[in-house]
Amino acid sequence: MSTPALEIQDLVLRYGRTEALHGLSLTVEPGQCYGFFGRNGAGKTTTIKCLLNLLRPQLGTVRVFGLDPRRQEAEVKSRLAYVPDFVAFYPWMSVRESLDYQASFRQRWNRDLEAILLKQFQLDPAAPTTGLSKGQRTQLALIGAIAAEPELLVLDEPTSGLDPLVRREFIQTVIGAYQDAAPGQRTVFVSTHLITEFEGLIDRFTIVDQGKAVLTANADEARAQFRRLSAEFAGDPPPESDFADAKSARLRGRTLELIVNGNGDLLLERLRARQPLSVTVEALTLEEIFLQTVR
Amino acid sequence: MIAPVNFKSGVPVYLQIVQQVKAASASGTLRAGDALPSVRALAEELRINRNTAARAYSALETEGIIETRPGAGCFLKAQGASPLRKTVRSERLGAELDAVIVQAHHLQIADDELKTLFTERLEAFRQRQAANHETQV
Repeated sequence: MSTPALEIQDLVLRYGRTEALHGLSLTVEPGQCYGFFGRNGAGKTTTIKCLLNLLRPQLGTVRVFGLDPRRQEAEVKSRLAYVPDFVAFYPWMSVRESLDYQASFRQRWNRDLEAILLKQFQLDPAAPTTGLSKGQRTQLALIGAIAAEPELLVLDEPTSGLDPLVRREFIQTVIGAYQDAAPGQRTVFVSTHLITEFEGLIDRFTIVDQGKAVLTANADEARAQFRRLSAEFAGDPPPESDFADAKSARLRGRTLELIVNGNGDLLLERLRARQPLSVTVEALTLEEIFLQTVR
Repeated sequence: MIAPVNFKSGVPVYLQIVQQVKAASASGTLRAGDALPSVRALAEELRINRNTAARAYSALETEGIIETRPGAGCFLKAQGASPLRKTVRSERLGAELDAVIVQAHHLQIADDELKTLFTERLEAFRQRQAANHETQV
């Protein structure tokens, strides 16, 4: 097995008396697009800050490309790019100057890719950065991040506060352009609470809640495991309590709706034994899985 | 050519693409020598990860449905060139047929009815296939 792009083990971090992370662990293999899902305050940004040596955990280990960000900070930072949720640029710089400034710190800079994306996002290189909308600022930050061709792209809430129509498309474009240039080697680690936008993009994910990983799974496996069974009955449906081993059971008129995790086939058989008029089975989306897991 | 994937079906996304290409190939919508979209174009169109698109193509290649020509992309291969042995092929199809039989049982469809239905669907499929070939000639 190759060295993980990212490996976090039993991370504990306290701010004074408040414990922001308690025992968080996760591993990201190279080439994956990895989702890090959690509510606001779940510990997502705190975790990312530990990767960048902006915060020092009290316990646990963090390895980026097998390196310790505390001791090998420069090397770690030269091999990754980070786009925070709120991006700031020097107000006196234009789009062009701002990109040149970022390029001056980097060993690599892909001018062609930069030009393609500037054009695609219709960003005027001569425009001052102060006049950019929130969406354009994020686009500019993403161009700067991927033009540097890092091995790991860390995105913290890249789409929050943006126009829903725009954000889906540009995230797809950016991640596509980034990973396509060196398949299998370019890793994306994206933290978000807006999961729907990333539904098809995520290979694997961790749901973090109250500073702990509560679910880690491959997206396809999770969707196969978490299912919604809805059975409609001619008469009174069986009581919810008969299906106590489902993750949740809810009556809606003559329809009994079960949310199942892993034991779906078994519950489906039992549901069918009650002779419903019809049964429908559908997978939960990642967003629904998230809501089921953290509530 | 390739329809949107359905995240609610519970079928792995890469497998949905594999099935779609197979269906298009069987029905004549896609023909031997036809080019498939690039991994990146497919990923963008379906709003999925490129890893998923690449996995679908590599599965199709393993099964002998498509071939990759370096520098040119992926193309549909001539049919009848399946690298899988006949027993493996019948086993795979057998498993799919079993699933249909189980479903028929739950929907309370009698055996005769199932057989009739199978024949009807097969005929309708052949007609569509013939129509596709005519329009392409």
